[in-house]
Formats: sequence, C-alpha cells, structure tokens
Amino acid sequence: MNRNTPPPLEIKKRLTIVDFLLYGAVALFIFYAVYRVNDVLVYHWNWSKVLGFLVKFDDESEAWVSNLLLQGLWTTLRLALWATVLATVFGVVMGYWRTCKNLTLRIISRTYVELIRNMPPVVFIFIFYFFVSSQIFPALGIEDIDSEGAFASSAMFHFMFGDPQLFSNFLAGMICLALFEGAYITEIVRAGIQSTEKGQWEAARAIGLSPFNVLRDIVIPQAVRKILPPLAGQFITLIKDSAIISLISIQELTFVATEVAATTTRVFETWILVGFMYFILCYSFALLFAHLERRAKRSQR
Amino acid sequence: MTISKIFKTLTLATLLTLSGNAAADLLTDIQKRGVMKVGMATFVPWAMRDKDGDLIGFEIDVATKVAEDMGVKVQFVPTAWSGIIPALIAKKFDVIIGGMSITPQRNLTVNFTEPYAHSGQQMAASSKLASGFDSMDDFNKSSVTIACRRGATPCKAAQKLFPKATVLRFDDDAQAFQEVVNGNAHGMISSAPKPRFWSEAHPGKVFLPFGSKNLTRGDEAFALRKGDHDALNFFSNWITINTSNGWLDETHAYWFQDQSAWKDMVAPK
Repeated sequence: MNRNTPPPLEIKKRLTIVDFLLYGAVALFIFYAVYRVNDVLVYHWNWSKVLGFLVKFDDESEAWVSNLLLQGLWTTLRLALWATVLATVFGVVMGYWRTCKNLTLRIISRTYVELIRNMPPVVFIFIFYFFVSSQIFPALGIEDIDSEGAFASSAMFHFMFGDPQLFSNFLAGMICLALFEGAYITEIVRAGIQSTEKGQWEAARAIGLSPFNVLRDIVIPQAVRKILPPLAGQFITLIKDSAIISLISIQELTFVATEVAATTTRVFETWILVGFMYFILCYSFALLFAHLERRAKRSQR
Repeated sequence: MTISKIFKTLTLATLLTLSGNAAADLLTDIQKRGVMKVGMATFVPWAMRDKDGDLIGFEIDVATKVAEDMGVKVQFVPTAWSGIIPALIAKKFDVIIGGMSITPQRNLTVNFTEPYAHSGQQMAASSKLASGFDSMDDFNKSSVTIACRRGATPCKAAQKLFPKATVLRFDDDAQAFQEVVNGNAHGMISSAPKPRFWSEAHPGKVFLPFGSKNLTRGDEAFALRKGDHDALNFFSNWITINTSNGWLDETHAYWFQDQSAWKDMVAPK
C-alpha cells in the first residue's frame, strides 16, 4: 500500500440494540406507508393483466415467447450496450484530447464537453433527432435501408439492432445517447489521467518509452483503476437516460410501458413492474463494476 | 455580372426548382415504397395493444383500410404525442392518423383533411364530492376542482366551460381520473368515451353527471405536411366516400359504443 490509500475501516459485524431499533423504525415506517397508501388510494390491484404483457403463450410455436415488456427490455439493453461502447470511445478520445499539448484538440474537446453538459438530455435529443439526424441521415442513405434485403432481415441484424424498419431511429437514439454520456465520461477520463502522478510520466519517458506507449502501458492502467467508481455510476446513468429515447419512437421499455399502462389502465402495476426491471438491469451493471473494482484492487497489492 | 453574382443566382434558382419539385409527391413516394407509414399514439380506444402485443383500435382499422384502398401496405410508427407533429415534419412518417383534433394553431404547421370522426369532451364526476351535481352551474363554482390532461383539448374545455372552477393539470388521463376516484377532485374532463368506460369500471365512486351527452364537439382529421395538395385531396375524398357509405360510422360504433366487442382482445386470459 502506498501513501494514497486510506487506512482500513473497522467494520463491526455484530448486531447491537441500536441496530434492532433502527430496523424496527424502518419496518414501522414501511408498514405505515403501505397502510396509508392502501387507505387513501382507491385502486383495484390487478397484476395478471400486466404480467400477461411480459410473456405470452404463442399458439403456433406452442411455447412461451416474450411479449411487449420483455421486447422493450431487450431494446433498452441493445440501446444501452451500443451507446456504452460508443460513449466510451468518445469519452476516451476526448478525455485524452483534454490533456493534450495541442491547443486545437483541447479547444475541440472542451467545446464538446461544455456544449453538452450544460443542456438537459431531453432538449439535446430533440435538437439532435429533429434537426440534425433528419437532415443528415437521408443524405447518408440510412433512411432507405432495404428492410426486406438479405442483411437487414437476417436474424443477426435483428439480434444486434432490433427491427430493421426502426433502424434509423435506433441509430439516432444510440448516437445521441453516446454523445450525451460521452461528455461526462470525457471529464471522468480527464480526471483519471490528470490524477496520475507527474512522476510516472517523467520516469516512463526517461526510460525511453514513446508518448503512446507511456499512455497505453503506464498511465491509462493507473487511471482506469481510479475512475472505475464514477465510470460505473455514469454507465448506470446511461441506462436510465435511455428512457428519454422513448420520445423518438424507439420501442424501448419506457415507451412500451406507457402503451401498456394506457391500454390496460393498470397504471401502478405497470410502472412498479417496469421500475423493478430497470432496477435489475442497473443493479447487474453495478455488480459487474464492483467485481471489476475488486480485480483492480487485487493488482494494487 | 461578376462571377459571384452569377453563382448566387444559379444557386438560388437551383434551390427554388428543387424545393418546388420536392414538395408535391407524397402519393408517388408511398406507391413507389409500397408502404404507407402512419404516425399514431396509444389512446384507448383509438389505438391500443392487444394481449399479443399487436396494435388494434379505431385508428388501426382506418389506416389499414386507407392503405388497402391505395394498394400499399401499412406500417405504424407509435410516437409520443408531444413529439408527433415535429416527427411528421421531419418526415419520420407520411401521415398522422391518430384522432388529432383540428385546431387553428396546429393548422398553421400542418394540413388537415376533412374530419373523419367527431369526438367530444365528457365529464366523469366523483360520487363523494359531486353527488347531485347535474348542471353546468353546479360545477362552475370556485370551490369545485376539475382535473384534466394538460396540453390537449380537455384542459382548454375545462377552462372555457367552467371558468370559476379550479383546474388541476396532469400529464396523463389516468392520473387525472385517479384524482376523482380518490375524492380529491369533483370531476375530470377527457375525450369520450374514456370517462364512460372508467365510470363503468368504478360504479359506486364515479358517475357521469351529464349522462352520455358530450360537453363539446370536436373534429378529428388526418394531419399531413404542408405543401402537398394532391395527398390532401386523396385523403379528404377517401374520408368523404367512407362517411357516405357508412363504413366510418360502423367502425366508430364498434370501438366506441361499448367495450364488450373488443374487451377480450385486450385482457389476458
């Protein structure tokens, strides 16, 4: 351990009176809240209607297939994963440019970050989707993608990108999300790079490594270890921000949930179920990152 | 003339010619593509999801028939209502068939066809707070609270018909209705036949103070991008024909009169 790690905490593992009182207070609060809600809210709970939108029994193939809500979940997952990959690329490149010696690169990356960070995601997606993508995408020929063609209608395409007819919207949503989150990842990466001691740079250059090798072998590995916690938080934020993509007709989980809630009029059941699905998705990411952090700590002795 | 002046004139001329040609050909585009893209939003019973996840409803039937008569397939693009007009202008789909009421403000940005349905606003009232209320004056008091979905015609109707009452705005019809059921609002205004469907689902707590008479009469039409008169002509005439031969009224009655005809399609087994 070096000077920079904090001293270990003494974690108490036995339960005392104080703990029991706390548990009691929390339980009391929860019971009271549930009781008040049931008392005040006149609502006939009916879960079967909403659960029916999770999976349905397909008579043709005689099997349980996914229905709207699960399909929405897959779309959200696709959106989140592709946007994560893209956002990481934007973030790392721009983060490096923020710390570069070259003035132009610094200006470009700083402009990118400040423009996007100071705008709410909803406004950004409206601007991007209605003005930018509606002008650029037709010019690039993405709107005319042949949805009956061999590649577009293949199972692989559907697995990776979803419905080929909604591909241009999906692309717009993905790029928008990636651009938006990339700005925050840029700052996180910049902080990671700048927090690496200057001594590491100087020592690495002194033994003859090129700037690229210094970055790749010495600085970035140390920076990554430091930025894993905020990076995990940012990726989870990305998953939650994907709900905003429902504004541009992507059939992701939030959009489908509004349709199901409107059709069945079971508002609370739908949203509680969808909240639970988002929780599972985000918590899995959080667990994954916790695992990555533990691995990184191991190599730190 | 100098080179730059010649250049500027040429560019202007090209742009004008191009833009003139680009505007008029929606019908040709649809027929070339073989698919008519229709923008709509989920709104019971205009458009909703059945238990298999497919779209059903009055709008769906209308759009399917229009596409059939045009000889093309139909593709639905479910869109959030607040972004549906910008999406139409950005060419994400060809026409909005979504029970959109004709208003002058909307008409400044999009073209409307002839009306194909006349819905209206209806009121559902709380049995607890508004029992015995059965006239407009009963509700037009400052002690009365009326809930509605904001941004759309219901809230405007609420303000206009009951100027003295307090108007509570919500993002969603279901939320506005929940206020009445909870006994926090005297009544709520929404497009018929939703209030009637909801009052049937909560018999003791909610009733229709004015029976099934609507408070206002609205005109719903298809919305198209500005500049294309040929498409407007085609859709308007389609509506006129199908009003005269009764198909529109028949289909409207099937979905709006009462829920029994299609209730089973929506509720899972």
